[in-house]
Amino acid sequence: MTSLLRPKLSGGNSNRRSALPSREALYWIAPACAVIIFIFGYSIVNLITQSLRYDGDWVGFENFSIVISDPLFLVALRHNLFLLSAVPILVLIAFILAITLFETRRGMRFYRSAVFLPYILPIPVVAVIFGQIYQLNGVLNTFLSSIGLDFLIQDWLGDPDIALGTMGSVIIWKEVGFGVILMLAHLISLPTETYEAAKLDGAGFWRTHFVITRPAIKTTLIFYAVIESITMVSWVFNYVYVMSNGLGGPGNATMVSELYIYRMAFQNNAPELAAAASVFLFAITLILLVAFFKIQRRSISKTFRS
Amino acid sequence: MKLNKSAIVYSAVIALLLTACSSSSEDSASDSFPTEDLTLNISWWGEQEAPGAQKWLEESIALYQEKHPNVTINHTLQTTDGLLPAFEAAAAAQAGPDIQYFWGAIYSQQPGWDGHIAPISDYLSKDELSNYINAEVESGFQGKIWTAPWYVNPSFPLLVRKDILAANGLAVPSTWDDLMKVCDVLSAKKITTLAGGVKDGWFGGWIYSVLGGQSLDSQADVIDAVVGNSKFTDPKHAKWWSKLEESRDRKCWNNDINSLELYQAQQRFVDGKAAMTFTAGPDAPNFVKKAGGDEKVTIIAMPAWTDGPLAGKMGTTSHTFGITKWSKYPQVAADFIKFTHTTERLNAWYATTGSMPADSRFDVSQVTSASTKALFESALDGAPYIESFIPAQLDADAIFKNVQLLLAGKVNATQAAADTQAIMERLRISDRKLVENFTAWSK
Repeated sequence: MTSLLRPKLSGGNSNRRSALPSREALYWIAPACAVIIFIFGYSIVNLITQSLRYDGDWVGFENFSIVISDPLFLVALRHNLFLLSAVPILVLIAFILAITLFETRRGMRFYRSAVFLPYILPIPVVAVIFGQIYQLNGVLNTFLSSIGLDFLIQDWLGDPDIALGTMGSVIIWKEVGFGVILMLAHLISLPTETYEAAKLDGAGFWRTHFVITRPAIKTTLIFYAVIESITMVSWVFNYVYVMSNGLGGPGNATMVSELYIYRMAFQNNAPELAAAASVFLFAITLILLVAFFKIQRRSISKTFRS
Repeated sequence: MKLNKSAIVYSAVIALLLTACSSSSEDSASDSFPTEDLTLNISWWGEQEAPGAQKWLEESIALYQEKHPNVTINHTLQTTDGLLPAFEAAAAAQAGPDIQYFWGAIYSQQPGWDGHIAPISDYLSKDELSNYINAEVESGFQGKIWTAPWYVNPSFPLLVRKDILAANGLAVPSTWDDLMKVCDVLSAKKITTLAGGVKDGWFGGWIYSVLGGQSLDSQADVIDAVVGNSKFTDPKHAKWWSKLEESRDRKCWNNDINSLELYQAQQRFVDGKAAMTFTAGPDAPNFVKKAGGDEKVTIIAMPAWTDGPLAGKMGTTSHTFGITKWSKYPQVAADFIKFTHTTERLNAWYATTGSMPADSRFDVSQVTSASTKALFESALDGAPYIESFIPAQLDADAIFKNVQLLLAGKVNATQAAADTQAIMERLRISDRKLVENFTAWSK
């Protein structure tokens, strides 16, 4: 089935030659390629070289061995994985908000802006504000106390057992707006006939969106999930740095791999260990990207098949 | 007679030559003072704990530029969390400030070991440096001195609100048991005895110094544990954790200590919501003023919980200026540093910041406040500030972390000590020059 589909997608064997980049096209993209190779290629080669050296001497995989046997690095990776597990929740919240806004005709523009606003706020500002809100004697606990919910009061960022979850909630709050806007844009572009037909057939709100909307915007959902997965693995430094004052505390409760790398490079004066840890992180991010493209290709193939 | 005259002339010439040859590097530096236009950049920290430091520095720069019109000096005040990373980034690029601020001991040793700074003793004479408080003990390394002390940080004074204690029928504690009794009484009345914030970690290091230093004989004990001759689980190094645990169990600290930063917590003391707090020595006189002056506040060293030679003594460390290896004008940088140690500048430092310049030539008799005078004198006869004799990474990874966890009730004293030792052992593997450097430092 797949082999039958491929020629169809590429326009058949007769068009295969035209699908290949011509020499002229190569000339056109050469400058962009050069810039990309210079910026990313050079950095990656430099990073890998640095990860294999110590004090100018070649040490093979010694730095990798030190990093991978460092309990702190493993804790940091585990925390990234924990944050990664929040991605399905994030996607679900964004999806629910998107369909709710899609169904809400009155004031949609206002609600859409309100949901999107956190996404455009600078992370340090968000982190500082939430750092204050989540203090033991901060706004949230004062509010909980005022409505008689004292049993819910926690030292949100000061208790090592819940600090990472608290941080995760801030990340979700900020990132959800991006997903909502992506999904809404896709939803608005969908043909309305299917929904009208579903309505006539008596499908309810949840059934309509679960059976029609979800498959229809699947590519957007996957795209968003992958972007957020990459965020959780390698883009949460700002949140953690500001909210834990660069420590990843209390204890090591909020230590993540990026912070580990930063501290190794700029506080512990161990750039070679930071480089080795970066190579690990780069590999993980690359795996996520490859997985994304594979899933996306499979999804597109299925769409064309159906 | 003629012969005698010639002999005198020859002797004078020889003496002159010898003097010229034996003149200090400082003199040669001033002889070769550049005449072309040049710029020096200073990257510093200190306004945070010695308010007024910026004003003094700008004043010093202006006066120096007046004296040397070909010199332009720019300065950048760093944040507490940004000071080290900014320097590490500059060191990686081998470009950046000419004069860099460093905290004492390990913070000024490490950049020297890494080859990022030139010894200040290459540019200033031994005589000059002998006046700089803590230069030898903290910045000395195998006959050289890395950085020049700028101001003294008596570390760390315990500020006590006599008014709060008196209102609750309590006296200023002089022993550990007294302090625990104060905690019992005040916590029963829902009053915080000791205000602290460990979210940003620094306060944890302070606690280590004021409690952990008490059971040691000298800084050599700490270096011994760092290089592996003893362990951080040995009673000498570990007992203080149980004292911290005791203070936690006796409810000495504010309950939100883990969600507050250092400066946020100290404000509680100023606001009269806590009976005591620790603060950086240079800022102590300001805290006394803000909290009502000597009538209401007194400054003491942490009450002793043991009878070691350092127990009950105030720690002392000097914060310093170093000259970066990549500076094009190290002589001028050194000359500026020396200029900041002139009598007029030393007195101006005290007048502007209320804290103590790191120079034994400073005349303490001009200090009028009794508490400040006592503070300065205790710093002159202070104990080594032990936090600065452990690797900075051990401080952040083990001390900061375990103080947070212990105060949050997540680990006990034994676990905290064991974790500190485990991290130290780990560090000896990851920092492949650590043992060599610390061993050389101890000699």
